[in-house]
Amino acid sequence: MDLLIHTRRSALWLAAAAVAAFASSALAQQAAEAAVKAAFLYKFAGYVEWPDSALLPSEAPFTIGIIGADDVAAELDRLVPGRTVLNRRVVVRRVKEGEGLKGVHLLFIGRGEANPRALLRAAQQQGTLAVTESERGFELGSAINFVTLDDRIGFEVSLESAEKSGLRISSRMLAVARRVVARQ
Amino acid sequence: MTFLQSVRKSLRHKVMLLVLAITVSALTMSGAGLVLYDLQSYERQYSNDMLSQAEVLARASGPALTFGDRRTAEKDLSVMQVRPRILAAALYSRDGKLFATYSKPDLPAQSFPASPGHTGYTVEDDQLFLFRPVLENGETVGTIHLRGIYRPWDRLRDYVTILFVVMIASLVVAALLSGWLQNAITAPVLEIAHVSREVMSKRDYSLRVRKTTDDEIGELVDAFNAMLAEVGRRSEALREADRRKDEFLATLAHELRNPLAPIRNALEILKIAGDDPGKSLKAREMMQRQVSQMVRLVDDLLDVSRITTGKLAVRKTPLDLHGALGDAIETAKPFIESRKHLLEIDLPRAATVVDGDRTRLAQLFSNLLNNAAKYTEPGGRIQLTLRQDGRDAVVCVRDNGIGMAAESLATIFDMFVQVDRTLERSQAGLGVGLTLVRRLVELHGGTVEAASAGQGEGSEFIVRLPLSHARLEEAPAGKSNGGPPEHVRRILLADDNADFANSLGQLLTSRGHQVRIAYDGAAALATAREFMPDIAFVDIGMPQVHGYEVARRMRSESSTAGCVLVAVTGWGQENDRKRAREAGFDRHLVKPVDRAEIESILETCTRPGPVA
Repeated sequence: MDLLIHTRRSALWLAAAAVAAFASSALAQQAAEAAVKAAFLYKFAGYVEWPDSALLPSEAPFTIGIIGADDVAAELDRLVPGRTVLNRRVVVRRVKEGEGLKGVHLLFIGRGEANPRALLRAAQQQGTLAVTESERGFELGSAINFVTLDDRIGFEVSLESAEKSGLRISSRMLAVARRVVARQ
Repeated sequence: MTFLQSVRKSLRHKVMLLVLAITVSALTMSGAGLVLYDLQSYERQYSNDMLSQAEVLARASGPALTFGDRRTAEKDLSVMQVRPRILAAALYSRDGKLFATYSKPDLPAQSFPASPGHTGYTVEDDQLFLFRPVLENGETVGTIHLRGIYRPWDRLRDYVTILFVVMIASLVVAALLSGWLQNAITAPVLEIAHVSREVMSKRDYSLRVRKTTDDEIGELVDAFNAMLAEVGRRSEALREADRRKDEFLATLAHELRNPLAPIRNALEILKIAGDDPGKSLKAREMMQRQVSQMVRLVDDLLDVSRITTGKLAVRKTPLDLHGALGDAIETAKPFIESRKHLLEIDLPRAATVVDGDRTRLAQLFSNLLNNAAKYTEPGGRIQLTLRQDGRDAVVCVRDNGIGMAAESLATIFDMFVQVDRTLERSQAGLGVGLTLVRRLVELHGGTVEAASAGQGEGSEFIVRLPLSHARLEEAPAGKSNGGPPEHVRRILLADDNADFANSLGQLLTSRGHQVRIAYDGAAALATAREFMPDIAFVDIGMPQVHGYEVARRMRSESSTAGCVLVAVTGWGQENDRKRAREAGFDRHLVKPVDRAEIESILETCTRPGPVA
């Protein structure tokens, strides 16, 4: 009997500890996810070719636009200083709702953005590489979409969307993509 | 030992040994060189190979490292399965943690260093370890590690094995090759040896070695065959010469025996005839004919021996051929006339000067004339012509006699060759006349050739002698121009050998000289006083008054002091000559006296003063 009571109490304690541990690990996992995505965003630039029109003027910095993902923007802020893409300085711009995408080469639309459709259309029109983290990302016209599988962050590529934006994505990157949506 | 002996004795084994030795040494040397070079460059080649592998792998796995895709990275590394010498491969992430690995499938899982080593390679325990950074878009995204088998001695062993196999194969090929070489080299050589043995044992010089190649051995075969042909020709020529010599000896014996019978008969006649002058004369004439035939034979014989011993010599002085031809005509005339031939002589007026020996030239042309007379049926025609042709004097003797076949022309000048053996023996000589002619012409620097249109068509002998550069007036023998009649000499012959004295006397008389004969010294002196000769031939060994005394007394008497005195004696020692000179003799002849010598004395007997 004693033993039973004791056991119940222990179980209770254990459950409480497990919940606490889960909560803290979820928080940590969220932070790590943002860091990985920030690093991936920066690295994508190495495997993509932009149309010449999108790269004008030539002295302009390589601009990564972020909307709806402040944690990722913060990670990128830490990551980019001193780094270059296409021999250009890299800057991070937090894009506001209704703001134009002029000068943005790579746009990440986080889950925090409720209405990405207009942004994606605009991105497609002016040759901006659009990255999403939504199951409907390709439907709406993004070229790269983050997915999480077995607790590991990966990405999918839509060659169809990329082509509409006038972008070419290196086959070497495709080799590590989880899924590649081919042109139709 | 036995092997060495067989190699020393057999060309076949030598060739085999040579081919094998060359094969083995060439292969060993080239193989050794190749192995040394390969071992030297093996490490460099191998590490370069590994480095480029690493490069390819790094390039392929760059994105996987970049995006932390372990599965793709392992897939990239597993490509190394196709490289059996690569034992393991690994990728380290940028922070130095092991990211993905590959181990050769049939090996137990390899252990990997926890962190990447320095860039570059190291060799340890038959393995090569290589580390290399992976760069992606200008940034280092990790490190690649390769581990490969590094065993140069395995490679060396492989090489030696291959070399060994190649050598065995080459030796087999070389053995086959040397078999072929034997056919090409030793077979012809062995055949030469075989044929030479055959030739030696059978004495058959018509055997020939079959020529199978055109190389040096072919040349050897040709040379050997040519040598055989030459030996065959020579042995045939020797046999022929020997046969001719035998025939000559038989002919000689016969010819010398022939005149003896009539002479003996004549002696019998003389014994019986007593005082019958007609019979005696006939007998003497017969004897004279026979003796002169014998003298001619013996003269020929002497010339033969001179030819064969190379002692036939000429003393050349510039002379007019007219003189020599005249002498020749005179010598041959009795025989030509006895054969009732017509002799046509066609000589140019101008002198034709050659460098020659008058006596020998006369002998040469008289031989040709006699020859023409001999080989022409009685009543024939003989032509003698002399003309100048460029730098040559050309003497032609042509007859309309029996001629000769074309095949005889080549051998007609050879010793002991006679065209017609059926000819009456009294006419036949010894077959040396034409040989002598050719030799004499050669000694004069000229040529002689025979021509005939065929048997029964007559023949022609053409002698060419180079003209002299000297002028005729320098020639001492130019005073006789056209043969007989010469200057008529008054000649005294003193000899107790009546045969000799009579025969010589008759000869000289026939030449138109005035001749007196004395058979002893006293008679000689008496005749000399009364006859006052230009020339006196005096025998030394005469009864009562010997030759020296005759000479002394003739010199002491004014009527005979100017006479040319010629001693005729059987003794030819210098002492005898000296004694003759002291007694007052001008010349000295040794018996038997050469007719030509007497003629030359008659030609040149110019004792200063009285005889002019």
